[in-house]
Amino acid sequence: MPQTTFDVFRYQPDTSDEAYRQKYELEHGTDLTLLDAILRLQNEQDGTLAVRYSCRSAICGSCACRADGKTVLACMTQVEDLKEQNGGQPVHVDPIGNFKPIKDLVVDMEPFWNKFKSVKPYLIPDGDAPERERIVSKEAMQKIYNESKCVLCAACYSECNSLAADPEFVGPAAFAWGFRFAGDERDGQRSQRAKLYSGEHGIWDCTRCMYCNERCPKGVDPRDAIEKLGGIAFQEGIALRDAGGRHAKAFLISLRTGGKLNETLLVPLTQPIKSQFDIPFALKMISKGKAPSPIPHKVKKLDEVKKIIKSVKETI
Amino acid sequence: MARKFAYYPGCVAEFSSKELNSTTKALAPMLDIDLLPMPAATCCGAGDVAEAKPNLYLTLNVRILSQAEEMGVDIMTICNVCTLNLRRANKLVKEDPRLLESVNEELVKAGARPYEGTKEVTHLLWYIATEEGLSMLERQGPKGLNGLRVAPYYGCQLLRPSSVMGFEDPDQPQSLERLIVALGGEVADYEAKSKCCGFPILLARENTALKESHAALSQARDAGADCMVTPCPLCHLAMDAYQRKAEAANGEVYNMPVLHLPQLLGLALGLDHKVMDFKRHMVSMDPVLSVVGGEPALAGRA
Repeated sequence: MPQTTFDVFRYQPDTSDEAYRQKYELEHGTDLTLLDAILRLQNEQDGTLAVRYSCRSAICGSCACRADGKTVLACMTQVEDLKEQNGGQPVHVDPIGNFKPIKDLVVDMEPFWNKFKSVKPYLIPDGDAPERERIVSKEAMQKIYNESKCVLCAACYSECNSLAADPEFVGPAAFAWGFRFAGDERDGQRSQRAKLYSGEHGIWDCTRCMYCNERCPKGVDPRDAIEKLGGIAFQEGIALRDAGGRHAKAFLISLRTGGKLNETLLVPLTQPIKSQFDIPFALKMISKGKAPSPIPHKVKKLDEVKKIIKSVKETI
Repeated sequence: MARKFAYYPGCVAEFSSKELNSTTKALAPMLDIDLLPMPAATCCGAGDVAEAKPNLYLTLNVRILSQAEEMGVDIMTICNVCTLNLRRANKLVKEDPRLLESVNEELVKAGARPYEGTKEVTHLLWYIATEEGLSMLERQGPKGLNGLRVAPYYGCQLLRPSSVMGFEDPDQPQSLERLIVALGGEVADYEAKSKCCGFPILLARENTALKESHAALSQARDAGADCMVTPCPLCHLAMDAYQRKAEAANGEVYNMPVLHLPQLLGLALGLDHKVMDFKRHMVSMDPVLSVVGGEPALAGRA
């Protein structure tokens, strides 16, 4: 019978302000999930060990935690798989990152729910309610299928690099839900949503670290949702209000005028005012040859590129 | 016989970080590769075009893939972001024949060659950090890094999402480590080596971005690194060109020279320093050269 050592993050604010680690040994069968292991430790060895869970079958999204540093749903992670990955070492169990622990593996989800609510995660149709249900085609639902799978487990927040640097960042799951409704043809708030999501700490704060896509246990790909919300901001004509949207615009202009990125455009277009005050840094960059010629470099067959830019229609 | 690749250096290596391009080109014969130019290739869009106009992003990247197909070779990149953008487009159209067909319609309408979906995109690091690549380096008889303590810095987009990249475990990457050791260096390990450098939002959200680069720079410093090496010119800009800004914003000093991956190879293989153009770096490379050999030499290092 396999035996596993679990090295668990402990935080018991009733008895101590300091977090500590505790090791537990467990004998078990070969098909034990991490959640079952934690619950057995709780039932058989230490009733004070706190964990949040509900469905035990990857639907409720309650039991996200970090196993050997990597955010997972405990109920869909096999202990034997973890040991295979870590070479038979003790399995380290920690609460999800970027949240404040309340007790052991339980974290304060309040900021997460507030951010979730802030994106208006519900359908807001235009006009009066129809007499019968609104019929949506399969193709139209397909567009928001990925985002519809989100179970709000916050695994994507746990290792979000933007969130680590800016705790106010609205974040991946909330924006996945944002796109789930902005992209729903029954919703009447596409433009308003684009404005709401483009504010400070909004979609343009995403640093594209791709941890959310990597970690999501349900295949939601939240970064892709944020990307599509950027596309909607462009379609709705509000993208250029934000430095992030202007940054993207500089690429579009570069492609049209030469085919390659014109780096000289990037700074003044993204930050037209701020860049005026950053002259010493600009001079330093120039002295190191890092401010290339403003005359766009033209790729061969640029006419193809121009035709493509003119012809391709967006379908978000 | 040298293996041929369609060479896609990306915009930053061609313009603001020319030292990366010149080093890679000079290194190619030593690595037994032949880098063929792609004069009609555009920018990959760097994730920005995908964000603004996703269909345009896809069409332009498939156009680049098709150019390599016409040349009869796979693409080699030297930038994380280009690698992800090209590979993502390649995966999308390879997995969805109807999507490929609609993209090809746009290409043909514009007079461009349609793509048949037969080519791959690789990064220089992936080419060199294999058994075959490492033994080829050995055959070159590397002069060696002389125990230089190098902090590997992967950044994000060469590792994640692994469904698109897939070369190695994104949580325990080892390719740079293997390379550093094979070249006679020591690895300075640290947790933030695969976290974000902040570059994509450096201009739009400077404060957030400089906190991100701080994590890697401060940890590499604390791990006793003589320098950092990165396979991505955007990470290089964030870590080198903006390092003084990160120091000011975070109230710390890092003094961390940052090497492009080909420069690390070049130093170990004895490539002419002029080609590697270290003068273009913001943070002085002197501490690195004093260990590896080159000037100026500092006395007293064990």
